[in-house]
Amino acid sequence: MTGWGTRMIAVLTYLASKVFRLATLLIAVCALSFWLMHVSPIDPVQAYVGADMMLVSPEQRAEIAERWGLDKPPGERFLLWTVSLAQGDLGTSMIHRQPVSTVIVERFAASLALMGTAWTLSGVFGFALGVIAARFRGTLTDRAIKWYCLTLASTPAFWLGLLLLMVFAVWLGLLPMGLASPVGVLAEDVTWLDRLRHLVLPALTLSIIGVAPIALHTRQKLIDVLASDYALFARARGESETGIIIRHGLRNVALPALTLQFASFSELFGGAVLAEQVFSYPGIGQATVQAGLHGDVPLLLGAVIFSTLFVFAGNLIADLLYRVVDPRTQAEAPA
Amino acid sequence: MPGNPRSSVSAVIAVLGLVLAVLASGCARADSPSAPTASDERPRDEIVVSLSGEPEEGFDPVTGWGRYGSPLFQSTLLAHNDDLEIVNDLATGYKVSDDGLTWTVTIRDDVRFHDGEPLTAHDVAFTFNTAKESGSVVDLGVMESARAIDDTTVVFMLSEPRSTFVVQLISLGIVPRHAYGPEYARSPLGSGPYRFVEWNQGQQLIVEAYEDYHGGAAEIKRVTFVFMGEDATLAAARAGELDVAAVPASFAGQDIAGMRLVAVPSVDNRGIMFPALPDNGKTTSEGAPIGNNVTYDLAIRRAINLAVDREVLVEGVLEGFGSPAFSVSDGLPWSSPDVVFDDGDPAAAEALLDEAKWIEGADGVREKDGLSARFNLIYPADDLTRQSLALAVADQVRQIGIEMIPVGKSWDEIRMAMHSNAVLFGWGSHDPTEMYNLHHGALAGREWWNPGFYRNPVVDAYMDQALAAIDEEEALELWRKAQWDGVTGISGSADAPWCWLVNLDHCFFVADGLDIGPSRIQPHGHGWPITANITDWRWE
Amino acid sequence: MNGAGAQARPRATLMPSARRAFSGRQHAFLTATLAALALLAIVAAGTLLPDSRLATDLAARNQAPSLSNPFGTDWLGRDMLTRTAQGLMTSLLLGAAAASFSALLALALGAAAATLGKTVDVAVSWLIDLFLSVPHLVLLILISFAFGGGARGVAIGIVLTHWPTLARVIRAEILALRGSEFIRVSRRLGRSNLHIATGHMLPHVLPQFLVGLVLLFPHAILHEAAVTFLGFGLPPHEPAVGIILAEAMMHLSTGRWWLALLPGLALLVVVRAFDLLGDNVRALLDPKTAHE
Repeated sequence: MTGWGTRMIAVLTYLASKVFRLATLLIAVCALSFWLMHVSPIDPVQAYVGADMMLVSPEQRAEIAERWGLDKPPGERFLLWTVSLAQGDLGTSMIHRQPVSTVIVERFAASLALMGTAWTLSGVFGFALGVIAARFRGTLTDRAIKWYCLTLASTPAFWLGLLLLMVFAVWLGLLPMGLASPVGVLAEDVTWLDRLRHLVLPALTLSIIGVAPIALHTRQKLIDVLASDYALFARARGESETGIIIRHGLRNVALPALTLQFASFSELFGGAVLAEQVFSYPGIGQATVQAGLHGDVPLLLGAVIFSTLFVFAGNLIADLLYRVVDPRTQAEAPA
Repeated sequence: MPGNPRSSVSAVIAVLGLVLAVLASGCARADSPSAPTASDERPRDEIVVSLSGEPEEGFDPVTGWGRYGSPLFQSTLLAHNDDLEIVNDLATGYKVSDDGLTWTVTIRDDVRFHDGEPLTAHDVAFTFNTAKESGSVVDLGVMESARAIDDTTVVFMLSEPRSTFVVQLISLGIVPRHAYGPEYARSPLGSGPYRFVEWNQGQQLIVEAYEDYHGGAAEIKRVTFVFMGEDATLAAARAGELDVAAVPASFAGQDIAGMRLVAVPSVDNRGIMFPALPDNGKTTSEGAPIGNNVTYDLAIRRAINLAVDREVLVEGVLEGFGSPAFSVSDGLPWSSPDVVFDDGDPAAAEALLDEAKWIEGADGVREKDGLSARFNLIYPADDLTRQSLALAVADQVRQIGIEMIPVGKSWDEIRMAMHSNAVLFGWGSHDPTEMYNLHHGALAGREWWNPGFYRNPVVDAYMDQALAAIDEEEALELWRKAQWDGVTGISGSADAPWCWLVNLDHCFFVADGLDIGPSRIQPHGHGWPITANITDWRWE
Repeated sequence: MNGAGAQARPRATLMPSARRAFSGRQHAFLTATLAALALLAIVAAGTLLPDSRLATDLAARNQAPSLSNPFGTDWLGRDMLTRTAQGLMTSLLLGAAAASFSALLALALGAAAATLGKTVDVAVSWLIDLFLSVPHLVLLILISFAFGGGARGVAIGIVLTHWPTLARVIRAEILALRGSEFIRVSRRLGRSNLHIATGHMLPHVLPQFLVGLVLLFPHAILHEAAVTFLGFGLPPHEPAVGIILAEAMMHLSTGRWWLALLPGLALLVVVRAFDLLGDNVRALLDPKTAHE
């Protein structure tokens, strides 16, 4: 009764504080981004018209500026923008001639396939590598895995993508060079096998890099567990090292690993930006880069907000998981 | 037992759920059999074409679509044939009044739009009047009005005689009055050889042949245009996914199985524009500085023209797919044979500079009255060919003691810098008005015309007369005189306001067995000009 | 204190642990030196290779790696080794400068948060959260856009995206120190704040700061390369590694593998060298091994 009551209050307080944090965060991010774009010397009309702008008259330029509301003072623009934002209208993208929300949703769906696959693969393989390294700590295997992870952490993700592209797409010709679907095929004729083939290389690029932090983290955590009193007792009872890991170690490092994965949405998004650029994969990362290069202010703002939400979601889940883990699942609980 | 099985299990379920979500999003569309992707598997009346110039604004002739060749969806009044002669398309004939102010065009009466509605003179008048009001790239300033006398006759009233008005009749596609609106650009309707099917902006455009086309239905029934980067195009061509692929000259030397290289000569050129005024501290109304003390010197401009070895540039940067350029309009009817000279002659260039008192300094750079022969050569940062040209030319010219510093900038920055720095531009059109715009004193500093503020009254006079000439031959002769009349002119050995470098060949890989007909000299046009004769294309 | 402790320990156990610790330090020192030398070599290559090798030589274009051009030549005949070395120099200097400023910013803000009271602490922590809530690359793109691209925009972007983590560490370190034994003792003995700060805090915070600084370099360099690769940042006539790789990407289908493989490999080596340097410097500065 009162137990449930206090728990409910605790949960509600937690949720309320999170919502408050998200709100203040979004407002700050919006204000910061808007201000940054305002001080930019890039002329959005110029950026919009591009190379054709040799041939556009000043009247035409003024008309474009007016069409996108660029002739009003910044404070007023920000206010107008937040008002429409509150109503769910993120404005229209200059590059895509579509509502920003539409573009983001479309692009994010493509990125979700990419990021989701990479996230899962790097999580699974990173975890496995970390476990193996801890099991054989001190040996050549462990050193090899550590060396591999540390080298990966120094590898530029986009360079790795270029290498994979060169080997698998150019040299071996096994996989496509880029995009999300084959060339010249109507949208409804694209099969999921096609999509998968186009997904392989970018997802591989993202996963290979993402393996390193999770592997090292898992390795360290498992080593700690294996050095604990409980493990000592188990060894004294005659259990094998592998047995200890399987019966006791895994469950204690699985959750920290998962928590870390959720907490690294920021790096995931950044990696996706690079992978999508190398493979011309039409996801949200590529949309952000195009928006930045071409001065597409509404889309860039929308992308920044979206990526903030994405990272926040990841951190929220990580935080929730962490609360679930602590304190009831500490390894030292007596049998 | 230590550990919390519940949380571990829930974690595993979360992971599995995520994996399922991923797979589900992948399966979101279709299980129809995969469409053919290789050339040899495609039905014999379909092709896939890769060009670089996806029009961001859409396919509306009123805002400039199709002015480089055939507008694909729409028809024009007149057209070029393969020899660049002017022939009728929608028109059955045209007359120009003696004072040059009234142009009367009669059109066919049997043309229908893709939706079956007949095309009449009213649509023609509507198109021209709308284009004039649109404030877009289409420049109809000289036209006062367009009026349909009846269903098959249109009268254009000009404010002054303009021999080049015929170019508008060739390049402006006719849009339907009854089906024109703000969404027209994204789903164009016209009377052209192909009808619009689907446009996935940034990726592909699909069109289908119009069976009742007045010029005879095209043999290729379905065309998919794809828009990808240069490298991706090369890769897709190798993978057999493309039937026609536009590639930059530097890739044209590649070997692609099942495809042959077609290199089409063009007037698409690249050249260096020099500011022709000294730096007196003046600026434009927007604050852009005007003038450059080094390029103002005639000897410098002529010396650079002499020193550059254009053949080497063609061989090294364009892999041989091009030709040396000596004017903005090489090979066109109005080009003058007198603009060509022996280039790649550093000795002659140095002699010229010595005579003009440019003395070589300690660091190898020449000086005159305390001024070093050093200035920026600006090129658009996103163009690899132009960057290569800028770097290569700079190195050639450094040998005679002039230091051009290649600097990559965005178009934004170029606009502000072009009155006081040398810029590597690219032009090339089938319209002599371009020569006028680039060299006439009245247009100095206006928009992107004549950024160097070059002014030669003799040249101006010739060009004014050429525009007003009623007789075509007379006009051509006047254009030639503006380039060199025996005393002065805009050629590189005379006033040298530009140092033209190369004409590019437009290179295409074409699938073996696909006949794309004879190619004609193409203008600057991002690949689209190759479709000018698309109705004649067929698989053998 | 140390002397009394050492004498109390039996000699048998002192020797093996001393030998292990000694060779551990030696190992760290050796690795750190090697890494530093590798970096110096690259800086030397970048400065010493003559600019003439950068001149276009159209007759020698598109050549695979050879003795005269160990990294091959590009489509203009320029020597790729020189281009890469100079590009790395640019990236290195830019990254190092930006990382240094970032670290100083982190030190200032971290120290401020830990010493100037609750309001400042909350404000700084909130600022840290703000900067950490947007993915690094997105923030870099935004800041680079704000400054119109160019080296300045990239540098400022890196400065503003890398200080949060280090600031957190420094803040935590100083807070822990404030509550530690000898600080409290010093206060009770009446020593001035300045004395405590310079005499006690600084020696403890400085190593952390230096290590953090060195470890910031590889991140900064990688981010600089990434942002430049995407197209923000330096214009193409002042090559940094990101631009070299972006240009290489435009030639992948032509089979000129050396344009992408070798410069990227060089970048990897540089970043790894910094990592090693930082880790081993940290091992060397670790008080546990220092006070043996």
